[in-house]
Amino acid sequence: MALVQAGKLDFPQTLKEAHAPAEVTTVTTDFEFTNRTDKPVTIAKYDSTCSCMAVTIKDGKRSYAPGESGVVRTKFDMGNFAGVIDKTVALWLDSDPEDRPSLSLTVRVHIPVLVSMEPKTLKWDLNGKVEPQTIRITMKYDKPIRVVSVTSSSDAYKYEVKTLEEGKSYDLVITPTDLKSPGLGIFRIETDCPLEKHRIQQVFTTVRRPSPSDAVAKP
Amino acid sequence: MNPWREWVVIAAIALAAAGGTFLIKGYPNRLFRCDPATLKPDELCLDAIPVGESVLWVDARKRSDWDKTGVPGSVLWNLDPAEDMQAFEADAAVRIVASPRVIVYCGDENCGVSRQIAERIRKLDLGAEVFVLRGGWRALSEAGRVKGVNPKP
Repeated sequence: MALVQAGKLDFPQTLKEAHAPAEVTTVTTDFEFTNRTDKPVTIAKYDSTCSCMAVTIKDGKRSYAPGESGVVRTKFDMGNFAGVIDKTVALWLDSDPEDRPSLSLTVRVHIPVLVSMEPKTLKWDLNGKVEPQTIRITMKYDKPIRVVSVTSSSDAYKYEVKTLEEGKSYDLVITPTDLKSPGLGIFRIETDCPLEKHRIQQVFTTVRRPSPSDAVAKP
Repeated sequence: MNPWREWVVIAAIALAAAGGTFLIKGYPNRLFRCDPATLKPDELCLDAIPVGESVLWVDARKRSDWDKTGVPGSVLWNLDPAEDMQAFEADAAVRIVASPRVIVYCGDENCGVSRQIAERIRKLDLGAEVFVLRGGWRALSEAGRVKGVNPKP
C-alpha cells in the first residue's frame, strides 16, 4: 500500500471507505499516521468541511516525536444523508499557511437506501393521452419490507399497488382522471420498514405543458 | 550600525510602507470572490443571478439560521435528523414546479449538504435546472440578499 506523505506525516491511506449498516446512525473512521521525519511535528489545526462530521486526534495529542504514531478519528453523523457521501478533513501541520493545509483526508461513506422508488416523478403532458404509468418500488434490505398503504394529495388520480414479490418488489400504477389542467400530485407510501427513517416514502406526479426539450426528445 | 538599531530601521521602513498602502488602498478586501473559471459544472456565481430573476432559493442550513437570515422567499431543506424529510420534499416540490431555476445554498463555502440537496432535487425530475451557489450564504450575505443583513461595500 502506498504511503502518502503529508510533508511530515505519513498516512497509509488518505481515503477510507465505510459501508454503513442501515441500523447505525454514526460511522467512525480512523486514519493512522507516523512521523517519519527526524524532527517533532505538530498538528496545528484540523477542520471538517461539514458540521455532520466531528474530528478528534487520539488522546488529544498534537505533537509527535520522530517515529511516533497517532490516529485522526472522524465520526460522521449520517442524519438524513443517503447514497455515497464524501466528507473531508483538512490538517494543518506546524506553520502551514491558513489557506494551504498540508493534506486532506476523505471519508467515503456508503449509506444504504432501503426503499427505492423509480422513477420518483411521473409526468403527463397537458391535454395529452390519459394512460397509466408505473413506479417500481424495490426493497433493498435483508428482511422483507411491505407496502402498508398509499395516500394521494389529489383526487385527480386513480392508483393501485401491485405486488410483484411480497416484501421485495411492488408496482404503484397511477392513472390521471383527466389532463385538462396542470398540477402536482403527492403520493405517500407507507411501509412496515423497522427503521423509521426509511418507513415513509414519497413520489410525485405532474401534469404540465410540454417543454421544447421534450419535443426535441420525441420527434 | 548595531543589530538592534538595524532591526528598528527595517521595522520602521516596513511600517511606513504598510501605512502608505493602507492610506492608498484602504482596508484589505476580504469579500468572497467567485472565479467562474473554477466553477464545477453544477455551480453558479452569485453575479450570474440578477436580483429579481425567477429563482427558487433552497436554504440547506439549520432551521434557526434560515428563520433569521435566509433569502426572502426561500424554502428550507437540510439534512438535520430532527427534521421531516418528506415535508421538506413536498414543500419544495410545490414551489419547484413553478420555477425554471433552483439554487441551493449552504452556510459554509465548502458545505457538501447543498450538493446533496441539489442531487435530491434533480432526482425529483420536476423540470427545473438545479445549481449550487459557490460561496453559499456568505456570498448572499455580502451582497445584502438575505434577511437582516446589510450589503458589504
